[in-house]
Amino acid sequence: MKVTNKYVNLLFTIVISMLIGAVIMLILGFNPLEAYFQLFKGAFVGKLNLGTTLQKFVPLLLTAMAFAISSRVGVFNVGVEGELYLGAMAAAWVGFTFVGLPAPIHIVLCFAFAMLVGAVWASIPGALKAQWGVNEVCVTILMNYVATFITSYLVNGPFSAKTGVPQTPAVAAGVKLTQFMKPSQAHTGLFVAVAAVIFIYWLMSSSTIGYKFTSVGLNPFHAQYTGIDPKRTMIGAMLLSGAVGGMAGCIEVLGVYGYFLDNFSSGIAFDGMLAALIVKSDIKTVPFMAFFLAVLKSGALGMERYTGVPKAIVDTIIAIFIIFATMEALLAFNKKRKAKKDVQASSGKQSEQGGLKNGI
Amino acid sequence: MEFNSIFDYTLIYATIRAATPILFAALAAVITQQADIINIGTEGIMLTGAFTAVCISYFTGNWFLALIVSMIAGIIMSMIMAVAHIRYKADICAIGTAINMFALAITKFGIKQFLGTTGSFTDPKIAAIPRINIPLFESNKYLDGLFNNWSLMEVFGIIMVLIMTFMLYRTVWGLRLRSVGRFPMAAETAGINVNKMKYQVMVISGILGGMAGAHLSIGYSQMFTENMTNGRGFMGVAAMFFGSTNPMLAWIGCLLFGFTDSIGGRLQAYGWPSQFVLMMPYIITISVLTVSLWRKAVRDAKIKSSLVAEQS
Repeated sequence: MKVTNKYVNLLFTIVISMLIGAVIMLILGFNPLEAYFQLFKGAFVGKLNLGTTLQKFVPLLLTAMAFAISSRVGVFNVGVEGELYLGAMAAAWVGFTFVGLPAPIHIVLCFAFAMLVGAVWASIPGALKAQWGVNEVCVTILMNYVATFITSYLVNGPFSAKTGVPQTPAVAAGVKLTQFMKPSQAHTGLFVAVAAVIFIYWLMSSSTIGYKFTSVGLNPFHAQYTGIDPKRTMIGAMLLSGAVGGMAGCIEVLGVYGYFLDNFSSGIAFDGMLAALIVKSDIKTVPFMAFFLAVLKSGALGMERYTGVPKAIVDTIIAIFIIFATMEALLAFNKKRKAKKDVQASSGKQSEQGGLKNGI
Repeated sequence: MEFNSIFDYTLIYATIRAATPILFAALAAVITQQADIINIGTEGIMLTGAFTAVCISYFTGNWFLALIVSMIAGIIMSMIMAVAHIRYKADICAIGTAINMFALAITKFGIKQFLGTTGSFTDPKIAAIPRINIPLFESNKYLDGLFNNWSLMEVFGIIMVLIMTFMLYRTVWGLRLRSVGRFPMAAETAGINVNKMKYQVMVISGILGGMAGAHLSIGYSQMFTENMTNGRGFMGVAAMFFGSTNPMLAWIGCLLFGFTDSIGGRLQAYGWPSQFVLMMPYIITISVLTVSLWRKAVRDAKIKSSLVAEQS
């Protein structure tokens, strides 16, 4: 019952935000039905459109996953953007330095190094939070800037391709992922990402590691009581989250660009984070949400071209959607249900305090 | 000498100039953090304020009206956050991020709809916030460089720091606010309306965020570009953390950000990589945060061990 409620609520928020979007379009004198039709046509119909949607889907999916993993242990990891940048840079470096390696080994090396760099980077805020309770939101936001500056320095200085554009030399031809839906940029990284997500889903739902993560996220004191080290688990989750973030960067570089371009991401990870936020980091629904956002993002271009409705409206709809989706108590229409929820919440609080006391 | 031309007296004003937009954002974050609300949405509030200020200033030619309206826009944005967070129990980080995205989207949309361009908008018709010029100082090169031509908001920012410090640490309201932040349940028991307090600080935060945006778009520069805040709201939050929610210390944090920003720009002019200098404030803030919490952990451990010793 509770589970179905969640999905009904999600659908309901989608409908509400699309209605609000329609009202905005009506006020501006556009036909909302036509606009939405063009939006979905622009996302699915035709090889180029579908390919673009898939290409946008890959980084969104991985960054959303990275965020969802860390929120399993109760860490709000805003730093996926930084992990993505550093992972991308690491992959590009391996890609253009070790030319001459056999292609399969080279690709694996690219992924491995990118994931390692991402994981190490993410473990810093994880360790700080686990050890001393440093606010991870702040640290990760700040570390995003540090990561961008590091990559910006590298791409303008030591690793510059010296072409006037801030980019690294192109990676070896063998490591570029095949783009299978020309003329779009959809690439085989999609399958890697999907495989990774399936693995993560298995890890989270049916392995000991996943159980530890959930346990620590729900109540670290209880976890400690049952013999799980919350600190190590927290750092472990951040390592995994960083690895996935680094992988997203690696796939972007090897699949789409073939080199590292300064500031190439422009907030991919933030969109991914939003996808995870909407579904409250429920690993099962994150892929669908990421796909939905990718559809909206890539369809927006077609909508703007054919109906003249500005692309920014789609962003507005997504934002409204998220604002509604974050309000947990908004859709509790039924007073009884609401009252029940309150009781649950207060009893939850009490148990939390009990946990605190035990911890002390 | 390169060194002398980087570190000279003009750096002082350059620092204050670069620090002021961050300062307002930091104050907006400080006031909510005192009530235990981490205001990630400062960035979005600022961006909305900046856009509104340019719009009103362009159409009416009145900078004061523009400032007021951008404050109102800031309040609207912060109220969305406040209602979502306080009434509908939204996670504050989630709603903050959503607000940032919302602001980015509606300003992108608004720049096309109301100003008729995309990307960036600048026009001589935009009335700027006036600068203070004291003719007495003009004769002296140093006084002129140090104290002349300050924007009104730059002066007001410093006054605001003093007002805020007074409000937080010298008034009943401030005491109540801090108690709400420390332990809301105890505050409620003492008869303080916690939610009302939280709404109040969110309104103040909206006003300050709106001011920050207005200063950025019609004081600091006279234009609006897409995403023109470019992380300044987050820097404000960082400065707040740097000062551990004390307005004075947060101001010092802002000055540090402003200082490295101006140094970075100058270094770049000489062909040095500025990235490392620009990186410094972030690393310093992380270090300050870590050290302060590490020391707290050590202190707590000591207290706890002495308690145990007494009991046994």
